[in-house]
Amino acid sequence: MNPVLTPKKLMFRIAVAAGILLLLMFLCSLIGSKTIHLGVVLQGPRLESGQANVDYEIYMHVRIPQIFLAAIVGAALACAGVVLQAILRNPLADPYLLGISSGAGLGTMLAVVVAGVSWSFWGISSITLSAFVCALATVWVVWLLGGGGRRGGMSGLLLAGVVVNAFLSAVIMFLNSIAQAGQIQTTIFWLMGNITALENYGLLWISGGIVTAGVLILLRLSVSLNLLSLSPEEARTAGVNVKWVYQGCFAISALITAVAVSLSGLVGFVGLIVPHAVRLFIGPDHRQLIPLSALAGAGFVVLADAVSRTVVAPAVMPVGVVTALAGGPFFLFLLVRRGGKLYTER
Amino acid sequence: MAVIEVEHLRFGYTQTSILTDLSFSVNEGAFCAIAGPNGAGKTTLVRLLAGLLKPAGGTIRLNGEKLSSYAPKSLARQIAVVCQEYVPVFDFTVLEMVMMVRLNRRDFVLFEDESDRHIVAEALEQTEIVHLAGRKLNELSGGERQRVFIARALAQKTPILLLDEPTNHLDMKHQIRIFDLLKKLQTEQQKTILAVTHDINMACQYCDHAMLLAGGEMAWGNPSEVFAVERLKCVFEVDGFQGSFRSKPFFIPLSGRKKDTAGRE
Repeated sequence: MNPVLTPKKLMFRIAVAAGILLLLMFLCSLIGSKTIHLGVVLQGPRLESGQANVDYEIYMHVRIPQIFLAAIVGAALACAGVVLQAILRNPLADPYLLGISSGAGLGTMLAVVVAGVSWSFWGISSITLSAFVCALATVWVVWLLGGGGRRGGMSGLLLAGVVVNAFLSAVIMFLNSIAQAGQIQTTIFWLMGNITALENYGLLWISGGIVTAGVLILLRLSVSLNLLSLSPEEARTAGVNVKWVYQGCFAISALITAVAVSLSGLVGFVGLIVPHAVRLFIGPDHRQLIPLSALAGAGFVVLADAVSRTVVAPAVMPVGVVTALAGGPFFLFLLVRRGGKLYTER
Repeated sequence: MAVIEVEHLRFGYTQTSILTDLSFSVNEGAFCAIAGPNGAGKTTLVRLLAGLLKPAGGTIRLNGEKLSSYAPKSLARQIAVVCQEYVPVFDFTVLEMVMMVRLNRRDFVLFEDESDRHIVAEALEQTEIVHLAGRKLNELSGGERQRVFIARALAQKTPILLLDEPTNHLDMKHQIRIFDLLKKLQTEQQKTILAVTHDINMACQYCDHAMLLAGGEMAWGNPSEVFAVERLKCVFEVDGFQGSFRSKPFFIPLSGRKKDTAGRE
């Protein structure tokens, strides 16, 4: 009998995907409104003539942090999308469904419009902090309102998420209507999803570390997720501690999504289409789906970010606009190719 | 030795109780049929025995210990459950579906080993679905899916099997094959088997114990006594004919319409 999945096969696929991602990141680091010569960058911070090396400065302090941020955001969103689709057993689930997006949006609005002054703590801007805290608080409220996934009844959670999202969106619109023009510019850009170079390497390491750890823990839970994605009752009789896995998966996806959203705003579609696209190629086994979706999501946002930097250069288009413009038609293409249904109807 | 002991079991989803004060015990290596009209609480009883529902009163003991004291993983080593057939959301293959239950048995394991492969292959053979191994579950017929779910339960290698209408959706040939397989598992591996079934005749042929659930109460014992013709007529509200073949009773339900309409007119 053929093996279902061997460690060798999984490692090979991860290695190939990681290789493609690194190549993509390298190529995208050379693209931007200013042409950069790699040879010049390699000369270091000072040119032979003693002048500051502008190419090096741009490459190390703008391009590299921006590309790594794009990869972190993409990996987090795609991985959270996979996990939420599995535990909600709903192929239309998306990391923003459970109130994270509107919570973070509210956090941003509060930081910009209500607090007014901009401040920072340990190099982290008030917008990022406020968005992160409000995102997690909102998810917690949704979890409580939705009954905490009691008995695997996930419809309460979905419903609570939808209602909280709608309510907070109204609050955001209200705050927008009383905000000043300059403030609106900031918040609109944030709401559209916007990856900008993070001057703070420390924050980049921390967020990268959180997302990597999250993906690894989710990978450890992938065997249980496979069983859960079929039916919570069957998973229970096969020995899965359903409540514990639900809570763990929910908390980790909320955390990594909140990290992504507080750094980049609402980059849409990644958490919905990347899991679908990857599933189409390698099937629904979460042992493969989790790591490969994380890598594919990272690649997708890195690419979208490169497009957003060049298409309307020297201006920058929000990356969320690129992912939605590319993701929407791609999703429809998948749908049409499969005769209007991605999954067997229940 | 009794592996499952149920004492004064009560349960209801709302205020009205479905099961009132059930007490019975199942010995190791017994093959029991659970029958009864729709809504009598057969599936509820299976879910209670599987630990999916908590009793409203009374106790269930497994190997002498309270069922609720078992952690999910250790319970899954004792009892395998075949729930009623369903269509999954995601497109897993038959092989993936069956292998899944093996992987969850150990901690910190992501991959199957040689013995898992051997056990899964055996389960696929026993349920005659080797040729379907690479197919997606969503492409299969109801009967084929049912056999995949039975294969999953067999792959769990538990001493106890709980089956909720295992021959639902199956044609006559496969009904017989599944009951033959269960009988074989009982006699060769001393497995304890509890199966919900609507087929009284199959129960009489294969099982050594039977339960007839109705109105929250039960009759429990030898199949030929439990399924006495007068009791069946009363519980299922049908007319019928009972005979005997190779000293096993059989029951044929007959149309009672004539009498009924006559009575009303």
